[in-house]
Amino acid sequence: MKDLSVQNVSMVYELPKGDSVQALHDVSFDLEAGRLLTLLGPSGCGKTTLLNIVAGFLAPSGGTVELGGTPITGPGQERGMVFQQGALFEWQNVAQNVAFGPRMNHRRSITRILEEVDASKSPEEAYRLADLRVKSETKALVNGLLNTVGLTGFGDKAIYELSGGMQQRVALARCLANEPEVILMDEPLGALDALTREKMQGLILKLWKETGKTIILVTHSVEEALFLGDKLFVMAPRPGRIEKAYELPFAEVGLTTDPRKLKASAEFIEKREELLSMIWGMEEQIMGHEGGMS
Amino acid sequence: MSEHVPAPVAGSPVEDAKPSRFSRRRGMQSRKTVTFGDASDVTTSKGWMLVSLGGLFLLWWWFTRGPEPILDEKTFPSPFATWDAFVDWWRDGYRRASAWEHASASLSRVLKGMLIGTIIGIPVGFAMGLSRVLRGIFDPIVELFRPVPPLALLPMFIMWFGIGEESKVNLLIWASVWVMIIASRAGVLGVSGSKVHAAYSLGANKWQILRYVILPNALPEVFTGFRVALGVSWGTLVAAELVGAEKGLGASIYIASRFFRMDIVLMNIVIIGVIGAFMDLVMRLLESRLIPWRGKG
Repeated sequence: MKDLSVQNVSMVYELPKGDSVQALHDVSFDLEAGRLLTLLGPSGCGKTTLLNIVAGFLAPSGGTVELGGTPITGPGQERGMVFQQGALFEWQNVAQNVAFGPRMNHRRSITRILEEVDASKSPEEAYRLADLRVKSETKALVNGLLNTVGLTGFGDKAIYELSGGMQQRVALARCLANEPEVILMDEPLGALDALTREKMQGLILKLWKETGKTIILVTHSVEEALFLGDKLFVMAPRPGRIEKAYELPFAEVGLTTDPRKLKASAEFIEKREELLSMIWGMEEQIMGHEGGMS
Repeated sequence: MSEHVPAPVAGSPVEDAKPSRFSRRRGMQSRKTVTFGDASDVTTSKGWMLVSLGGLFLLWWWFTRGPEPILDEKTFPSPFATWDAFVDWWRDGYRRASAWEHASASLSRVLKGMLIGTIIGIPVGFAMGLSRVLRGIFDPIVELFRPVPPLALLPMFIMWFGIGEESKVNLLIWASVWVMIIASRAGVLGVSGSKVHAAYSLGANKWQILRYVILPNALPEVFTGFRVALGVSWGTLVAAELVGAEKGLGASIYIASRFFRMDIVLMNIVIIGVIGAFMDLVMRLLESRLIPWRGKG
């Protein structure tokens, strides 16, 4: 298991007219392996930018990001990604989507097996056997993952036949297939209706518990950030920065306690109001900044 | 990701609503009150297709063989004269070539042109979608040459490639290649960033991104381009066969017109139309087979 280290990360976007926007300013934090970090903040606070930097899709203007001591320079399969929607491959069925990662690694997996295999067999025969083994392993893995996310028997379905919630289950399974160290989620439940959303929150908690993986989840929802976050950063805009960090108890008990009761508990409501007023304050500051609506 | 509005079940309050003219249109299943503008409710009606074809035929007959024929049989042959010309053509061929030889000559020119146009067009379109440099290089070429009508190029093509097959096929390549380039480019540019990002995070390399993400994602656009190009190619056929062709539907039109055989001209026009429509039908069937996800993203 690898810890994530973000040191003095800044991000400046150059605008066409010569202006620039400071999307992130001097952001630093360490995230121990196995934590579930939620990023919360108003639009423009740089939370998605931060996620994209950790994913390796963006290179920061300054600072370093390291996973287990290795600098992140681009996308890699030790950091899986779950998007809000539209990132599944609709030309493939559910099982093929989940198998996408292992399939991209098919060659490498065969090579790995061939190195272990004894030299008594002919190269062609050894290759054929390795190919078969990798394929059956992938198949078993996919079936197992579909089970885990509650899509048993849906492998043959086309993506466009699934509801939004089921599509996000596929996205989770696909991401897990490559055994990433860190799972990055960019508003994974943002496009779902409220009921599906609550169910999916439970699934994310379950996956986090069962796999013990590090998760960073970006969300707009205060409640979601509180409920899922084992750790929570409230981010503020102009320049994008971490305004306040919380260590939270709710995710830890979220699976054993009734989530509805948990969300209605005094402690949860108190935290929720605190965060809401903090974010409202930021929003109002932005409004004033833009010429004053109020 | 469309959430369908569930159809009201029997006994629900909606059932008692006064049935409107619209809701009766498709029997008891459809109870939508808004139908105009709801494209999902518009399907091709087979009945109206027959009415349309029948009306066209009737109009044709009326103009030529009606009580007071507006046009002379010589300049605008009637459906019956055209049918007679078709029967003759089918039995005896035309100008020492059988019907099949004429049709296959044209068909093979169109298909060769399409094939080569596609083989050139897809990689160039992909290159333009994937590289800034290549887009810069190809963009002016495409934009300059695309609007040039193939017929305008015929004299030069004949000088360069002779009056044989080469100039004809090249003209048809010209007709199809720009459409294929633009469609392929649009297909590549249509890929969403999150799909590409997801694939990279799943361990895909550049080649795998191209093969397993960009290519299948562009397929619907490429397919549409192919259908459009096929139509354009049939439209260019007559021009391509204008000079130096003995066989071919377009050539037959040109030759027959010089002998003022408008019945043969009209018959060939109908044949070109029918083959073109049939090919489009085949393409649509192929599309629903090969690209079932189209429009359901």
